[in-house]
Amino acid sequence: MAAAVAVPLAGCLPGPRRKAARIVDAACVRSWLGVVATRLEAERDFLTQLDAAIGDADHGVNMHRGFTAVMARVGAMEEATPGQLLKTAGRTFVSTVGGAAGPLYGTAFLQAGEALGDAASFGPRLLLDALRASLEGVQRVGAAAVGDKTMVDALSPALGAFELELRMGGSLETATSGAREAAAEGMRATVPLQARKGRASYLGPRSVGHQDPGATSTALMFAALEQAVVADRSQRFAAGARRRGSGT
Amino acid sequence: MIQSVGRAARILKALGSESARLGVTELAERLGLAKATVYGLLRTLEAHQLVEQDLETGKYRLGPALLQLGNAFLDNNELRARSLLWAETLAGRAREAVHVGVLYGPNVLLVHHVFRPDNSLQILQVGASIPWHACALGKAMVAYLDADAQAELLAGPLPRLTGRTQTGRDALEAELAVVVARGVAVEDQEAIVGEAGIAAALFDNRGAVVGAIGLAGPVERLLRDGPSPEIEAAVKEAARGLSRELGAGRPALPGAGA
Repeated sequence: MAAAVAVPLAGCLPGPRRKAARIVDAACVRSWLGVVATRLEAERDFLTQLDAAIGDADHGVNMHRGFTAVMARVGAMEEATPGQLLKTAGRTFVSTVGGAAGPLYGTAFLQAGEALGDAASFGPRLLLDALRASLEGVQRVGAAAVGDKTMVDALSPALGAFELELRMGGSLETATSGAREAAAEGMRATVPLQARKGRASYLGPRSVGHQDPGATSTALMFAALEQAVVADRSQRFAAGARRRGSGT
Repeated sequence: MIQSVGRAARILKALGSESARLGVTELAERLGLAKATVYGLLRTLEAHQLVEQDLETGKYRLGPALLQLGNAFLDNNELRARSLLWAETLAGRAREAVHVGVLYGPNVLLVHHVFRPDNSLQILQVGASIPWHACALGKAMVAYLDADAQAELLAGPLPRLTGRTQTGRDALEAELAVVVARGVAVEDQEAIVGEAGIAAALFDNRGAVVGAIGLAGPVERLLRDGPSPEIEAAVKEAARGLSRELGAGRPALPGAGA
């Protein structure tokens, strides 16, 4: 299990230093997926516990199983663009994860991968397009809107915050940080909601008072994205410092 | 209508609608009643163990007598009692979870649930309420309702629960005709993404539909290439056997020859 998630954070290509917008490349995408896998392993029981209250108690196990498979598949791909990595993650998710999480997250990753096309690296603008494509895919499959007590309650505000931050001249780092914050806030805001989608909606008003597991795993992914982007930045910085220090 | 009984019922429903406990003040505000009135009602309900007070916070929650009443409701449900054996057998044969439901307004109320026999962690869904048009049990039942009742349900709100929920009246009406011709109703991720169902209606001695029994499970197992003939046959057989036990005579049983 540990081997499947032990993704080296190193290996990010040193990017051009003077660019205002920072970029994400395949190595950074790999490290993001790795951080998600590690965090899902740590939060597996918590997610299952949330799901036991209003769902069918399999969300933690499903997400963990899915990401373990994703890491194995992605780890075996030597040369791949970010888009190819995400599409592989999506297909792996659909084929290995049961319940609602498989098709929903699978679609999210597939759509994000499609949106990135063949780009070897991408900036925050293209990442915004990818997030938007993910949300559209999830809503097409799940028909959920904000307030239905689903993963959309974390995904949609995260996307909004990301976009707002970019409009205000923010960087990739501040935008992912804003997205992480908005996703967590959206996640917490699911607690008082009555579920209108998914198994939790069968409970009617009894779903009130519980945090949605899907919104929780989505918030986890945005936290991982920020972590991967920040780690990537510090890696690049360290790499640059080493180069200067060694005089090469 | 007896006012105080109505108020007591509203208190129980308010306490049942949230996982949080409620204090006298909160309840009084929510129901628009005087605190003294609410307090009196709560004390009476407490004496009957219908509510109980949390000693630490002083707040109220539903009481243990309600579990007994709920179980009594299920036990008095002849359908549930008689379905136990058939549901167990069907679950064993199909290796999937079995649901038994009745129509309750526009929703299917699950009165019995047998876990998928694979020792995995599962949550009991008895008491869950699912819009009829989004599940196999509901479509199986509504297909055999008389034209008026069917028209009323088709005209009612048909909420979209997933991207695949059928919400068009005409499409649903056509699907109900297929259910009658085929003898089973099939649901493909129309209530929950990733989940499917196959169900058949249950009839009483007058040939009236009284419920439905069916399989519920992951779509990739239940509908890999559409429902397998064996699975479909197993559902129909369970429904026929259970209907006969409920008194449905062979000739009166719609779709029995299918």
